[in-house]
Amino acid sequence: MESWITPSSLAILRVLVALAPLPDLSQFVHQLATPLTAFPRLKEGVFLYKNAINPYSGGPFRHSPIQLLLFSTILPTGPLAPLLWAAADILGAWCLVQIFRIRGGSIDASRERQIALFYLFNPYTFLSTTALSTSTFDNALYMLAVLFACKRRPAASMLALAVLTTSSLTSLLLLPPLALLLISSPKSGLLYPQPFTAKLQSTVPVVARYFAYLVALAAVSTLVVGDWSWVARTWGATLTLPDVTPNPGLWWYFFTEMFDHFRPFFLMVFSVHLIAYVAPICLKFQHDPLFATVVLQGLFATFKAYPSLADPGLFVNTIAIFPEVFPYLRHPVVTTMLHLYSSLLLVLFHNLWLVQGTGNANFYYASTMVFGLANGFAVTDLIWAGLRAAFGRIPDGWEVTQT
Amino acid sequence: MRLPKALIALSLALASAAYDGPAASAAEDFFGPHASNHTNNWAVLVCSSRYWFNYRHMANALGMYRTVKRLGIPDSNIILMLADDAACNARNPYPGAVYANAGRGLDLYGDNIEVDYRGYEVTVEAFIRLLTGRVPPGTPRSKRLLTDDRSNVFVYLTGHGGNDFLKFQDNEEISAFDLADAVETMWQKKRYNELFLMVDSCQATSLYSKFYSPNILATASSQVGENSYSYERDADIGVFVIDSYTHFVLEFLEQMNKTSHATMQDLFSKYNFKQIKSNAGVRSDLFPRPLDATRLTDFFGGVAQAEVVDAALGLGDGGSTLSAPNVAQDTAWNEHHEEQEPAAEDEADPELRPEGFRMGSVVVGLAALAGLLGSAVWGV
Repeated sequence: MESWITPSSLAILRVLVALAPLPDLSQFVHQLATPLTAFPRLKEGVFLYKNAINPYSGGPFRHSPIQLLLFSTILPTGPLAPLLWAAADILGAWCLVQIFRIRGGSIDASRERQIALFYLFNPYTFLSTTALSTSTFDNALYMLAVLFACKRRPAASMLALAVLTTSSLTSLLLLPPLALLLISSPKSGLLYPQPFTAKLQSTVPVVARYFAYLVALAAVSTLVVGDWSWVARTWGATLTLPDVTPNPGLWWYFFTEMFDHFRPFFLMVFSVHLIAYVAPICLKFQHDPLFATVVLQGLFATFKAYPSLADPGLFVNTIAIFPEVFPYLRHPVVTTMLHLYSSLLLVLFHNLWLVQGTGNANFYYASTMVFGLANGFAVTDLIWAGLRAAFGRIPDGWEVTQT
Repeated sequence: MRLPKALIALSLALASAAYDGPAASAAEDFFGPHASNHTNNWAVLVCSSRYWFNYRHMANALGMYRTVKRLGIPDSNIILMLADDAACNARNPYPGAVYANAGRGLDLYGDNIEVDYRGYEVTVEAFIRLLTGRVPPGTPRSKRLLTDDRSNVFVYLTGHGGNDFLKFQDNEEISAFDLADAVETMWQKKRYNELFLMVDSCQATSLYSKFYSPNILATASSQVGENSYSYERDADIGVFVIDSYTHFVLEFLEQMNKTSHATMQDLFSKYNFKQIKSNAGVRSDLFPRPLDATRLTDFFGGVAQAEVVDAALGLGDGGSTLSAPNVAQDTAWNEHHEEQEPAAEDEADPELRPEGFRMGSVVVGLAALAGLLGSAVWGV
């Protein structure tokens, strides 16, 4: 790698990019801005709040009250906003490099440079940040939560996770793997899996702390808003999907065409589907909870209610800290090609449907399904590689069987 | 003595009634024993498809529209329902034009058509509301079927269809039962004198098979279980531009004008499988008149009612029927309205009344966040 590509120079480059007038082009793009994360909606909510109108009394605003509080007082929504977003991205990249070091994978600086480069300039997260989608902050908070968990600082980690949960309810399901990570080690356990030795009772204070922070944040939110309307509009949106604006996810199309009679049942099914992944992944990867966290985040990115490109983008960024499994990935080229293909298709069919009008929603939904397939391929390949790595290189003439 | 006089007067009256003077004989000639007794004509032309590849359905409806206008029905009496996405479609190599033949001889779109329901307004609900007259309040006149009990209504439907249904706009269907019930509602509300339904779609005869109201004549392009076929494709437009049945009917109607005495029987007896490529059907059991006495212009043409008056009418002197607008009344209305407005403001929703930015709770919220952050970072 070139020697000028240091993490700090990348950070400076990122800040320079932030100064370009890119948000005007991209802040409304459906792939980057979902009803929960779009910047125009945030501005609308802040404006309403500053004019003493409850932004949760109907309308497009679905951001968390904590974000409402911060953006209407201390954080910028004007010309300086791209710099703030770039700073959040740089923070996330820094966290990822730190996690990589703690995990013990850092042999030399070149690998760290690559990780920082890919985090900052991965098109999925990069475009989301230029579109000023608040998923950048979600990603940064996730990275902070994981970093503090790796550093065995339960308070900071749980606070980060609690703040993340206020804006993305699905992150609640990351509590089990992070709790496991807090009581065990972030070091790589994939190659030589050991049984889980830490006592599960020690997660109880961690979990209690998380819920205490969550309750405190909910109280602050209610104080800020004045009543409980924010619960139905933010967390309720993830559970009941009131807004079926197209996004790269799999929920919206399903629920646009569903009869109301079946809606509660299928909402339950989709939510339980997400919950169902937590226990198996945590059990199977108990020897490496950091890996379990990343795998779960990848699964949630594929199947959550309002994903944007930033969620699978975060997953792709974080798999860089597992270089030990790369030789065992079975079809990385296929996954990459699928991602390339589906990202082109998403843009193309979105335009064909909503701009030109010569296609219909099926086109775009087909492209989201291909995108979901690409993400699914990535996650399942990573799971395979994570398990396969334990067997190592199998010499000729030997075979692995199950007894 | 008065009774005989009355009897004589009565018999004279009866005799004079029986006497055919020259004017009476001409009138009798015109009206005939089986003449239609309608006084106005309406046409409802519906193309129920959208998208470029259904160009021919658009051309069907537009061709019928042109013919019906040429034969005398004015735009005010025509309801044209189209998705209207062919002429200005990005794929149209001749923008703003719709053609119905392979050589592109005649532009049916032109600059003189009035589409009443276009795009996504063409729905099953809109169509049935149009027929039954139950349109939402505020619907403009051009979108209402203002027929009465002396109107002959010509309904033309074209699109994709099947057994007992016609597909509307690629996402819903009208069933033959709904259509039959809508027409019965029309009959009960005295909204037609005679109704002529023509359908060009696959299995089209099923659409008229469920009618049970009187005075309906119906014809369709193909039997149940049979497809209707398109006629020809234009090489430059790239899609089929007209359907066989409609092409056949339009060619037949092209030979006649407003004064033609051609009858329905003339048209129906010319139906042949070779040209239409399907077995066209006719339903006339609900129709009171014989088909060879029913003129095509009874439905396709417009009856222009001309009343010849001998006396001269004076206009303007002796008081006009229209009174000048009462200016005083208007001013009073304006004042009344202005008085209302301030009062309305006070009754505004109290929740929206500005209270001032929630400064207190914001400050406390920020302090709480800072406290949480501190407790987390510096360990509690």
